[in-house]
Amino acid sequence: MTLYKPSEILIERGEEDTPVVQRALARLPEVPVQIVEKDWERQAAARDVAGSFAVGKRRLLFTRQRSTFLEHCPAGTPGLVCCNYLIVSLISNCPMDCSYCFLQEYLANNPTLKVFTNVEDLLREVAAAVDRQPWRQFRIGTGELSDSLALDPLLGFSGDLVPFFAARKNTLLELKTKSDCIDGLLTLDPKERVVVSWSLTPPEIADTEEHGTASFSARLAAARRAQAAGYKLGFHLDPLIEYPGWEEGYRDTVARLFSAIDPRRVAWVSLGSLRLTPALRTTMRQRFPHTRLLSGEQILCADGKWRTFQALRVTMYRILTGWLKEAAPQVPLYMCMETAPVWEKVFGRAPTCDKEVARALVAPNLVDHKKAVHASTEPALSLSKGSA
Amino acid sequence: MATGRETSVSSLPEQIVTYARHKHLSVQTLGRWQAWMEEDQAALLSVAEELQLGENHLRDFLDWLEETVLRDGGTIHSLLARPELRRPLDAKLARNDKLKAVKEALRKLRYPRLSRLEDDLRAAVKALDLGGRVRVSFPPAFEGDEVTVEITARNVKELDEGVTRLRQRIENGALQRVFDLLDQV
Repeated sequence: MTLYKPSEILIERGEEDTPVVQRALARLPEVPVQIVEKDWERQAAARDVAGSFAVGKRRLLFTRQRSTFLEHCPAGTPGLVCCNYLIVSLISNCPMDCSYCFLQEYLANNPTLKVFTNVEDLLREVAAAVDRQPWRQFRIGTGELSDSLALDPLLGFSGDLVPFFAARKNTLLELKTKSDCIDGLLTLDPKERVVVSWSLTPPEIADTEEHGTASFSARLAAARRAQAAGYKLGFHLDPLIEYPGWEEGYRDTVARLFSAIDPRRVAWVSLGSLRLTPALRTTMRQRFPHTRLLSGEQILCADGKWRTFQALRVTMYRILTGWLKEAAPQVPLYMCMETAPVWEKVFGRAPTCDKEVARALVAPNLVDHKKAVHASTEPALSLSKGSA
Repeated sequence: MATGRETSVSSLPEQIVTYARHKHLSVQTLGRWQAWMEEDQAALLSVAEELQLGENHLRDFLDWLEETVLRDGGTIHSLLARPELRRPLDAKLARNDKLKAVKEALRKLRYPRLSRLEDDLRAAVKALDLGGRVRVSFPPAFEGDEVTVEITARNVKELDEGVTRLRQRIENGALQRVFDLLDQV
């Protein structure tokens, strides 16, 4: 995977000496640097110099997060089963460029790749939330508005995040990536509190639709190394894409996945059908006119997103869960942004409340570190028990 | 006034621009059309003129044709020449009926499995032979898991007939087949 190299670095005045800026400058000595005022992005947008989405991604802006970091995952849409996931974003926008990425629409008006320098505020905010409720179990991810690890070689945020979460008994951190940038993790001790997860699509989709990401093989190799370094792993077959040959492609994906890694150390696997807003479809047509992802049999669903029509995606989920349960019977499976009827058709039942999904995913993974090393062969509570 | 049909002596790009002006097509829609290969542009122009496609219908054609060719291969002009589309195009039908028939045929090519499911469900409901007073309908786009069964009755006798028919179809498994079909592709 080619590491991200910005066209220019913009540093908000006053942030020049922050650790993350210093790390990035040391690692990108040849990139031009400009000091900008704090409302640079708003002014750039007003002057229409923010540029296209692709141009915006190439510009790296260090700024402060002036709002809160901790948020509920926006996938918790009414009518869909939610997993009570929380997100924190130290980065806004992604150096990769997947054809289906929702950020193309979500960040269309502010595409500059922003890095928030005040990581200490994030840690303080998370500590206040999770330490105040020691009885509650949290699952927090950093991979919503960017890839969690693709910029780690430049920014080194894993060195801030992993020790912080490793010290907490009631919280799991998920670092979600399509990269192979895990070197920064290898010397840290996650103490069973950090799940490194990879989004996987069959190689023919990864190669043609996930631009700038690590190859399928490179992701699996990185997952093996992370596992060997003591990290739990997660995998997201999301977006699940229906294309001519999908069955063969996904069968091979599942087989290669579980021949490469130890399923006993997998925290969860999720499935989620490709979902696209009408506006995102329009953007995809413009930016990726040869994408094949708009050619599936997708229909407009009640939440305003296009998905593969229900009977077909239920068929896909059933086939995939069958293979996954055969290869890794103890691994919890769940679906992202699906309705209760689809859960019932795929798993035999739908969760009775949002907390049930969260508990099933977090509780088995929040065991004592030392015991976990010896108890990892115990089957975890599976949402997929009693599946149809 | 331009009609979109008076352009036999002008070049293809001029004909398309004339048609677009006549139909008040958006710049984006015209741009997509003009980005195609010349033979594809010409094939769609012929269909557009025949069906008098406006912005919304034409955009459906652009979407479905592009997506079908991306998935199945081939070219747009060869797709438009397929017998499934030529039959309704060449039929002696009023414009609205022809448009409906051509769009339905194109949609079947674009959504083959969904169309098959629709056909199978329609056939399964017909085979139930529930009479004119019992109606079975499905959730929009078959999302969800609820089938709606309505009985319309003017009196208790008609209601009883409807209920009896339904009861028989439940007992002989015919209605179960309808529910099962909702999950099958």
